Amino acid sequence: MGALLVVVAFTVPLFVELRTVLSWVGVELTVLESVALAAVAIAALLVWALWPESDGPDSSNAG
Amino acid sequence: MNVHTYEKLWLIAAMVLIVGFIATITYGSVGLGIAMVGDQQETVEPTELADDERFGEPRVEQIGDDEYEVYVVAQTFSFQPDPIEVPENSQVTFHVTARDVIHSFSLAGTNVNTMVIPGEVAEMTVEFDDPEVYGVVCNEYCGPDHHNMEGQVHVVPEDEFDLTEVSVDAPDEVDAGESATVDVTVENRMLDGLETTAELEIGGETSVEEVALEGGEATEVTFTVDPETLEADDSDVEWAVTVDDHEERGTVTVIDAGDEDGGDDGGETDE
Amino acid sequence: MSNTYLDQFPAEAKVVRAAFYSSFFALAIGGLFGIVQTLHRTDVYRFMDSADYYTVLTAHGVLLAITFTIFFLVGVFTWAVTTSLDRGVENLRFTWAWYGLMVIGTAMAAIPIFAGFTDSIDMSASVLFTFYAPLQGHPLFYLGLVLFVVGTWLAGVDWFRSWRAWKAEHPDERIPLPTFMVLTTTIMWYIATLGVAAAILLFLLPWSLGLIESVNPLLTRTLFWFFGHPVVYFWLMPTYMMWYVMLPKFSGGKLFSDPLARVVFVLFLILSVPTGIHHQYLDPGIAEGFKFIAMTNTMFLLLPSLLTAFTVVASMEHGARQRGGTGYFGWLKALPWRDPVFTGMALAGLMFAAAGFSGMVNAGMNINYLVHNTFWVVGHFHLTVGTAVALTFMAVTYWFLPQITGKALWSRPVALVQVVLWFVGMTFMSNAMHRAGLLGVPRRTAEPQYEGVTFEAAVGSVGELNAQIALGGVILTISLVLFFANVIATGFNGRSDELPSNGYADALSGPEDAPLVLDNLKLWTAIAIVLVIFAYTFPLLSIVQRGGLFGPEVITFPVSLESLAPIAAALEYGGLATVDGVASAVTGALEPGRIAIAEVVR
Ligand code: HEM
Ligand SMILES: [Cu+2]
Ligand SMILES: [Cu+2]
Repeated sequence: MGALLVVVAFTVPLFVELRTVLSWVGVELTVLESVALAAVAIAALLVWALWPESDGPDSSNAG
Repeated sequence: MNVHTYEKLWLIAAMVLIVGFIATITYGSVGLGIAMVGDQQETVEPTELADDERFGEPRVEQIGDDEYEVYVVAQTFSFQPDPIEVPENSQVTFHVTARDVIHSFSLAGTNVNTMVIPGEVAEMTVEFDDPEVYGVVCNEYCGPDHHNMEGQVHVVPEDEFDLTEVSVDAPDEVDAGESATVDVTVENRMLDGLETTAELEIGGETSVEEVALEGGEATEVTFTVDPETLEADDSDVEWAVTVDDHEERGTVTVIDAGDEDGGDDGGETDE
Repeated sequence: MSNTYLDQFPAEAKVVRAAFYSSFFALAIGGLFGIVQTLHRTDVYRFMDSADYYTVLTAHGVLLAITFTIFFLVGVFTWAVTTSLDRGVENLRFTWAWYGLMVIGTAMAAIPIFAGFTDSIDMSASVLFTFYAPLQGHPLFYLGLVLFVVGTWLAGVDWFRSWRAWKAEHPDERIPLPTFMVLTTTIMWYIATLGVAAAILLFLLPWSLGLIESVNPLLTRTLFWFFGHPVVYFWLMPTYMMWYVMLPKFSGGKLFSDPLARVVFVLFLILSVPTGIHHQYLDPGIAEGFKFIAMTNTMFLLLPSLLTAFTVVASMEHGARQRGGTGYFGWLKALPWRDPVFTGMALAGLMFAAAGFSGMVNAGMNINYLVHNTFWVVGHFHLTVGTAVALTFMAVTYWFLPQITGKALWSRPVALVQVVLWFVGMTFMSNAMHRAGLLGVPRRTAEPQYEGVTFEAAVGSVGELNAQIALGGVILTISLVLFFANVIATGFNGRSDELPSNGYADALSGPEDAPLVLDNLKLWTAIAIVLVIFAYTFPLLSIVQRGGLFGPEVITFPVSLESLAPIAAALEYGGLATVDGVASAVTGALEPGRIAIAEVVR
């Protein structure tokens, strides 16, 4: 759980800067679009991390 | 001392990085010629700026074909002169000092930025290419109204730029029936000659005089205004003097001789 | 039965606790002012007069950069010396005396600062924490600073006394690493504070008392930065100490290398001071050559920080592998991310890496033109002191609190959320500050919204940047509230018997691998002094030669609340100028140039 929290926190700087980086290649995002994109990415991350693994109940490896 | 191999590599990489940084900056100084604000300028007495050769009159001065010097005084909470006007494609050296506390002189969004310290003179040479208006801020806290300290630098097209100074000496009052003289002093502070006209508009009439000046020269143009021109409906006659885009305005009051000791009310008729 | 610091050194634990609580008190008030400023500047919410902004900013700067950090570090250092030498302080009354002096000094400096909020007390010191003359604060402000610094000097004496006494009993042993770090930091501090002591005692204090007429603004400013740069290492070195001696412990392993840790601290000792002029790259009156020397020293000062980055990461990896971590990056998963102490410190270290990048930009003498005194700089130091230092201190508090109170931490999950929120909030705030700075938005400005100046953003807009700054500020404030909730609630807990023992990390490569010369403090002190003399003699001489020891005549500028007073002073001066001759140098708003020239022609 702890690791997951940190990973989610880490997405923040990435998405804050994504907008600038994309503008270099000519893609202009609005604030709302950036926020939406970040929300989707974080949601995907959470789903991936919290999806119960098929084999065995004891598979959590987050410290 | 045993140092781990990876750590040695890291150490070497760090040293390379550091030396690389120093080299980059040195290249910026030597190769690109980005000089630091330094100690080239003599100090000044902040309390005697008014008498100072350099800062007595904050101004723009031409020193070469496309070279200008600007003398700027920063004080709570303004810059002088403001706005500063210089032509496009010019090389401008700013000399900035402070009258009171520490300020800065910073053109927003550019690397024109210096501290301004009382007693010291910051010197900075800048190249301006295209016409543009730059905002100037003070970015060093200088007192309770620090956030209101701002100015502008106007980089104007070459043909709109001049360093012409116009001053007008016109009487405030003339006696009715007398003529008036208006002296117009035109100074050309550019290095090149100036050919233009001085135009006086008064009482609905316009007179024009040619003005031709060498660089650095000043001249006085005298207009004599007939009594008839001064006969207006009102005893206050407005005038305007125009030299290129410089304009000075004022009024002349025509005093009716017979009215000298008359009452204030109703005495001002135009008989 | 646990074996906490409180159990080992009950009397000293009280001092450390007092120091920590003083520090947190400053953090609380300073943080409150932080959010007030943020909302005011960005024009999100303004409830005070803009002139008061500078009083708030003075308090924010002094309370956080000086009071919060230094009170915390004297606590940590006292803990480090007593723990690593395994002996109590030599004289407890002396220890309380320096602590008391620091408290009195803080209170004395705070009185005139806070008096700036009200007109009814004729006192103020809204001079910001840099107190550049000719801005003038109330004498009590300067006097308070002096007492505070003297308090820290005596604290240093205390630590040296402990070491001398220990050495007499252990003549052949290496100085334990934590004590070594304390001693080198203290020596650095002694050298550094000579600058500010000279500035205040020789010039600013006599001047504020009216004993001397004027001061040389460039000289006092230079003396300030003689101290002002190394003071950042005074905050960072205890932070590094935590990263070296505590973080490996929390990640479950050992410190990678004790000798290299010593090398790093020696480098800090000798290189911290002769760099202060890098804050004055854009000052007129200092030759380019001196600036270049300062820059070179500054760049080499990157070295100890880069070495630290290596050691910290290597120690974490070691810890992770001890915990069963494997793979190139897989070991990261094995770190104790649930532990707020570890996670907070790791995040702080990471942000410090980002701060390193903006710091390199600042340090580049001619690149500095672009960012000097813009909001960029504020973004930079909220990553350094505002995160690397502050977040490390907050995180490690979660370990220290049980040690000094004997009570279990109130809530570890809340603590974890707190440190993560700080990281997120600071990402938002600092990122937008950096960006705004690149557009030229000035720092230290109550209303950076001008009539004739526009800041043009390449991506987004100034409005969006402001919103981002305000959002970050709010998140940071929530984080602070959680921190205090935890500290206070812990205080209400009962004593616990199951607390971790006091201690710090062992080293993989121990002191026996370190060359003896590293412990030769006299040698390093001498080198440090020589470097300082080398870097500062000529600049100082030249400044004095140019402007005089007591400067040109300057107009003293008492900073009081009414904006009218200084304006009146300026006008009065303008009046003088008129009398002085050139009838046209009227003042301010007119365009004196024009009229003046016309007169000269006649
Ligand atoms: C709630 C958290 C915080 C917020 C919202 C905050 C906000 C701000 C803002 C907006 C400024 C810039 C003001 C200006 O230049 O006009 C500022 C300045 C400053 N902050 Fe913070 N800050 C916070 C925490 C901290 C911490 C933890 C530290 C240090 C330990 C710190 C140290 C400073 C310093 C030294 C200044 C410069 C003061 C000056 O220019 O005189 N801040 N802060
Ligand atoms: Cu200012
Ligand atoms: Cu510095």
